[in-house]
Amino acid sequence: MSEKALLVATGLVRAFGGFRAVDEVDLTVTEGTIHSVIGPNGAGKTTLFRLLTGILRPTSGTLEFDGAQIGGKPPDMVARLGLAQAFQTTNIFPRMSVLESVRAALVSRHHRTRDMFSWFHTRLTGEAMDMIDRVGLTEFADEESQTLSHGDQRALEVALALAVQPRLLLLDEPTAGMSPFESQRMVSLVRALSRDMGLTVILSEHDMDTVFGISDEVTVMHQGKVIADGPAAEVRANDEVMSIYLGSEA
Amino acid sequence: MSSGKSPVPTASSQEEARVPTGAGAAARSSSLARSVATPVALTVLMVALGFAVGGNTLTTLEEVLALVVFATATNLLLGQAGLVSFGQAVFYGIGAYTVGLGWLHWHLSFWLTFFLAPVVSALVAIPVGLVALRARRLYFALSTLAFSELAYQLAESRYDFTQGANGVFGPFVPSVLTDPIKGYLFLLAVTVVSLLLMWKVTRSPFGLVTRAIRENRGRAQALGVNVYRHQLIVFVVSGFFCGLAGAMFVVYSQSAYPELLDWTSSGTPIFMAVIGGMGTFLGPALGAFIYQFGHDELVRYVSDWQLVLGGVLLLIVMFWPDGVLGSLTKVKWSQWRNSLNKGGSDE
Repeated sequence: MSEKALLVATGLVRAFGGFRAVDEVDLTVTEGTIHSVIGPNGAGKTTLFRLLTGILRPTSGTLEFDGAQIGGKPPDMVARLGLAQAFQTTNIFPRMSVLESVRAALVSRHHRTRDMFSWFHTRLTGEAMDMIDRVGLTEFADEESQTLSHGDQRALEVALALAVQPRLLLLDEPTAGMSPFESQRMVSLVRALSRDMGLTVILSEHDMDTVFGISDEVTVMHQGKVIADGPAAEVRANDEVMSIYLGSEA
Repeated sequence: MSSGKSPVPTASSQEEARVPTGAGAAARSSSLARSVATPVALTVLMVALGFAVGGNTLTTLEEVLALVVFATATNLLLGQAGLVSFGQAVFYGIGAYTVGLGWLHWHLSFWLTFFLAPVVSALVAIPVGLVALRARRLYFALSTLAFSELAYQLAESRYDFTQGANGVFGPFVPSVLTDPIKGYLFLLAVTVVSLLLMWKVTRSPFGLVTRAIRENRGRAQALGVNVYRHQLIVFVVSGFFCGLAGAMFVVYSQSAYPELLDWTSSGTPIFMAVIGGMGTFLGPALGAFIYQFGHDELVRYVSDWQLVLGGVLLLIVMFWPDGVLGSLTKVKWSQWRNSLNKGGSDE
């Protein structure tokens, strides 16, 4: 495994009025790892993710992806650089079929979005089916996305993110609202993506078993700040982290 | 819950994934055959219709063809991109004025101005789109409406250039086109080519991406799509064909006047799209037929025809939100084709 830092955030702040949802966060994500960001509700995980993908602009601090400054760049440019996100709230194209949705993502990756007079998108079926197969949705390829089960919609999310061929994949609570079976499926998928495609993954998660089951590195956030950061086993042994999670701090 | 779906990619599952490629190609060629059959059949039907009817009906058909292009172009925004514009009359009117004013001030040939009209409209659509698309939803609709009012006021007040409320009248349409059947066939040819081009735009990589933007603009952006730029392109393409529709209207009306630019004129293609079904490609075209012939019938019996129009629209929105064609396609494709053919020959 290379030790190259793919994503480096330094002193990242996002304030909403006087409230600092993300407060002086430093984060280094090593290429090829699965890096979890954990913390209780309201810790700032989702805000942090939105900063990373350009949906929000940082109030201050720097954000570097593979040596390029991405802080404040719009989401489409960040995506083009190779940073893709699967969202926490299901974020799909409701009235498009699974195949169509993934094709649209592939059209974007191939830079053919302004092509009005070809059949290029229909030639993407094989490539799209590859993605769909990878996330286990082959049998639903022709179904309208909004008719899929919650777990399958989340899997489609991942397929969409994969279709733009990212180097870094952000998964915001990938197992939220899933049945144990669906969660297990998602975990094996993430593991397989990391192993087989060499994808770097950042995920935020509530479920501790999931987190420590698949992560190489863990960053713990609390009230907008990073309170612990390091290899999964070390963080797990950290008393402060455990107390926050057991709700014993008062 | 379906079991046995392996999320882990394996060599065999990737091999299987290639199988649908062939199936997709077969489906494509059959859909191509279908997509050739439909326009050919409809064109033949329309040519036959032109020769079957005469006099006033033929003249109405000329107007309908202009409105078919106008409504279909408006629906590129409405149905395809999910953008409600109350400003498409700006481009429609500019198309008509390009022909009229080109003749009035510079004695340009009709043929030149006819094909110049969509280009002028598209050029005007660029700055209008750049401004209007900064806003979303209702505010986008309102700013396009403002542009419509602006264009209307300009055309009405600049008497020296536009002849104000009188509009531009004159013998600028070549005599070959003032002959009803020849004029009709010319407009039909323009309509067919326009609709084929617009159909292709909706069935292109670009069309797919604009649908994705309509469905979820944030997600499209996260996939690397510059939403603003793509919406601007659809807006300009729509403006182009609205301008062409305006030039077509001149063949029918032999005039251009300020009301063409007014926002109430922008409402017309939206009504047509709603009646016919904005979720289908040919819905707005069918809506144009229903609207215009319905209007002509109504005004013979009722003075407050708009009251009836309002009632009909209300009923459609409440009980048939997919529009006539949209509801029929939901029934079944074969039934839809039969219904459409039947509906066409009844007219």
